[in-house]
Amino acid sequence: MDIQRRTLLAGIAGSVALVRPGFAAPASGEPVLVGVSGPLTGPNAQYGAQWKRGFDLALEEINAAGGIKGRPLQYVFEDSQSDPRQSVAVAQKFVADPKIIMELGDFASPASMAASPIYQRGKLVQFGFTNSHPDFTKGGDYMWSTSTNQADEQPRLADYVINKLGFKRPAVLYLNTDWGRVSKDVFTKSAKEIGVDVVAAEGYLPTEQDFRPTLLRVRDANPDVLVLLSYYADAALIARQAKDAGIKQTMVAGTSIYSPKMLELAGDAANGIYSFSAFFPEEPRPAVQEFVKKYKAKYGVDPDTFSAGAYDVMVLVAALAEQYGPTRAGMREGLEKIKDVPSVIYGKASFDPNTRRVPAASYKFLQIRDGKFTMWDGSKPSG
Amino acid sequence: MSSWFDYTVNGLIIGNIYALLAVGLALIFGVSHLINFAHGSVYTVGAYVGWAAIRYLHTPLPATMLIVVAVCAGLGIAIERLGLRPLQGSARIAPLLATIGISFVLDQGLNLIFTPDPRALSSGLPNWRWQVGGGTIGIMDLLIGAIGIASAGVLFGFLRFSKLGWAVRATAQDRDAARQMGVDTDRVNRTVFAIASGLGGLSGMLVGMYYNHIDTAMSFNATLKGVVAQVIGGMGNVPGAIFGSLLLGLTESYGVALFGSSYRNLFAFVLLLAVLVLRPNGLFASARQTPPEPMTGTFIAPSRPVRVPAWALWAGFVAAALLPLVPDIAYILQTLTNGWLYAMLALSLTLVAGTVGQVSLGHAALLAIGGYASALLALDLGVPVPFAVLAAGFITAVVGTALVFPAFRLRGHYISIATLGIGEIVGLVILNWEGLTRGPIGVAGIPPLEAGGWELDSPRATYWVTLVVMAVLGLMQARLLRGHLGRTFRAIREDDIAARTYGISLNRYKGMAFAYGGFAAGISGGITAHMYSYINHETFTSQISVLALTMVILGGLGNLTGAIIGAVALISLPEMFRFAAEYRMLIYGFTLLLLIRFRPQGVLGTV
Repeated sequence: MDIQRRTLLAGIAGSVALVRPGFAAPASGEPVLVGVSGPLTGPNAQYGAQWKRGFDLALEEINAAGGIKGRPLQYVFEDSQSDPRQSVAVAQKFVADPKIIMELGDFASPASMAASPIYQRGKLVQFGFTNSHPDFTKGGDYMWSTSTNQADEQPRLADYVINKLGFKRPAVLYLNTDWGRVSKDVFTKSAKEIGVDVVAAEGYLPTEQDFRPTLLRVRDANPDVLVLLSYYADAALIARQAKDAGIKQTMVAGTSIYSPKMLELAGDAANGIYSFSAFFPEEPRPAVQEFVKKYKAKYGVDPDTFSAGAYDVMVLVAALAEQYGPTRAGMREGLEKIKDVPSVIYGKASFDPNTRRVPAASYKFLQIRDGKFTMWDGSKPSG
Repeated sequence: MSSWFDYTVNGLIIGNIYALLAVGLALIFGVSHLINFAHGSVYTVGAYVGWAAIRYLHTPLPATMLIVVAVCAGLGIAIERLGLRPLQGSARIAPLLATIGISFVLDQGLNLIFTPDPRALSSGLPNWRWQVGGGTIGIMDLLIGAIGIASAGVLFGFLRFSKLGWAVRATAQDRDAARQMGVDTDRVNRTVFAIASGLGGLSGMLVGMYYNHIDTAMSFNATLKGVVAQVIGGMGNVPGAIFGSLLLGLTESYGVALFGSSYRNLFAFVLLLAVLVLRPNGLFASARQTPPEPMTGTFIAPSRPVRVPAWALWAGFVAAALLPLVPDIAYILQTLTNGWLYAMLALSLTLVAGTVGQVSLGHAALLAIGGYASALLALDLGVPVPFAVLAAGFITAVVGTALVFPAFRLRGHYISIATLGIGEIVGLVILNWEGLTRGPIGVAGIPPLEAGGWELDSPRATYWVTLVVMAVLGLMQARLLRGHLGRTFRAIREDDIAARTYGISLNRYKGMAFAYGGFAAGISGGITAHMYSYINHETFTSQISVLALTMVILGGLGNLTGAIIGAVALISLPEMFRFAAEYRMLIYGFTLLLLIRFRPQGVLGTV
């Protein structure tokens, strides 16, 4: 299998490095296994591919530095196509395999939450690091998540749009999925608390490519800013078509558009869009800089939020297994107790044992200028 | 109001794009009476070929267009020669399924080569734009429009004035007669596939440039919109396809104007249904055209079914029932549980599509209705789970039959397209009817399976429950079909005019078939909802409809044992190919194609 070969190579690379002083012995012996249920084929396969990159990078480091008490950490990636029918079968497979100490994924909510009862019964932690659905961690005390939470993110977006940037009539375009819908509801509520009404809220389907009529509806509501609760692919389409449809208003988008792909797909139309992100490669924090450097060296491209999240989760798994023992019970217990795990996204991550999520990420405010994401300079947009 | 002018412009712009797709589909349908489900995949291939040509060969736009047309025309010829010609003479349904298989293989192949990450595809044209109303139109809009009209014009000239064009039209009218007159129908088919695929590939590239966005998942939606547009214009009617596309674009744009973007496809499919029911030949058909394809009876080929002796069935059931006693096989049990649940769906579809001959492409909607009915009854009204599931069966029977009732007068392909549309409509209603279904948030915390206080949520218990329910449904169906009902159903399938002459009320019997089918599928959906504990509008996707049809055809249309075997096989195969990781869906696609190629009547044969 590809993954094992790669970790094997990493192991060899590690042993070559042994001649240099200061390196721990590379991991060997019976591997410690985590199961990953996610899309490698099907419509969401690109996210599975991003996960793999983040995982592999983290594992290279972890295993070169001695793994888990000398044993190599590895993952078994089972393709679910993010389809509930397959994710439940994968769940049974992982639960029945005593070597698996924790499970990561699935990607989308229907697939993840359909498998939750099986993990809960099997007492195997299901760690949904992309699951922002508010009910995901309510599936049981074995469901944990590091996904940034809309209840946390959207009030900050509202604060950014209204207080920091000074807009008064926001219109919202949102992806009509569980994620987008929750985002929109929380944003609308937060804006209202600040004292501003959302003048129009338009949902669209994930397969949508033609946004011109939707943008016309938004235009007719006469907003002063467009808030995009979108993924980067749809945000890019909206940005391009907004100009064509005669919309001149500024756009502000949530953390989910942060990807190098956004710039590639939107081209010139991306310039001027405000955004914010929990993960930003140019953030000077050393943990971030080191991750970005290694990622670029290995893959030749900038990392995005999904690979950063995947990297983080593997680091968390290693820390849990090291401190609380590489067993299912150890991992479950560890999640409640562990404090301040180094994290690219959160800086330091600890869990709230009640919500089983990580409270409060640190957000960076951004603006796209000259085809690049840059830190927002703090000035309010003119006009 | 000036906005209405802008909405009209936008509708025409998007209709323009649909037209490129619909023309190719119409051409293929006109000649070979085949809905080419691979058309969307060829469209995607065209987009990626264009991307590769620009990226690696740095070709200017005209050269890129030539390369794309040439490569996709070649692909079309290959599809026709390797995938479809060997199926000549077998049931009409076989090539339809083959195009689904080919589409699968092409999509997966692209996925492997290019990764599913979306890519930017820039046309390299200057960004000239002209102010029209409140918005602007650009050079790409004009280029797409020009190519659409030019290709339709060239096609018109080709069909009307060239010898090969005459041959194409003759073949479209009557293949056998054309052949008797010395027309090389294979050559005609090849030509048509080359033209249509070249055009399809070109449109993929142009649309990719228009949005500056291509990805490997864009083919299904492209096929769907192309099919809808050409049905509106009249199946197989090239100018009609262009008209239908523009009308579809306008309808969608006005629909969005009135209710918002989430309702866009709802308008598209309601328009489709209205056209199908009121003017099944399409808006562009002339009055003296023959009634819609009198092709029942040839759609499903008769064959000699393999008789599975009763003792073997019982032995199989006992073996399946004893399987959970083997320790540590929860994963296999879960896979088979999925298999049994899909077997219920396949039993339902094999009755409707096989026995009665109404090939439905919207069966996933029945699962969704059943799933939501059972989940909401149990959660909101506190109905005990077993009764909720049973009620879900009855609700699905009633709602499903009522929804499909307007389509009862349709035949052959039209039924398939109508049910496809109904299936999409159900999905969109679930998404938009938030008061009842909780919209995109979905229904969480659905209680697990239980009966009289006994929790049935262990892998073993779920397995036994689904196995027994499936067996009971299968036995009931077998019993029903043994009597006069089975004969009547088959009579409708073979020749509905003859059946009517004998005094059989078609609507009544079709209604009975859909009601029983809805019941079985609703039960399956209900159990699934309780097993998953969470469902939303994406849980039962339209791909499931295609999967169910594949199961049914694989097992042999109308063949109950075949449906069960088909379901278990198609659920287990992707699991068995897990070792192949990224390649497994590709292997699955090829397996499917080989099966269709060498056993088009299904493993056990049509009953």
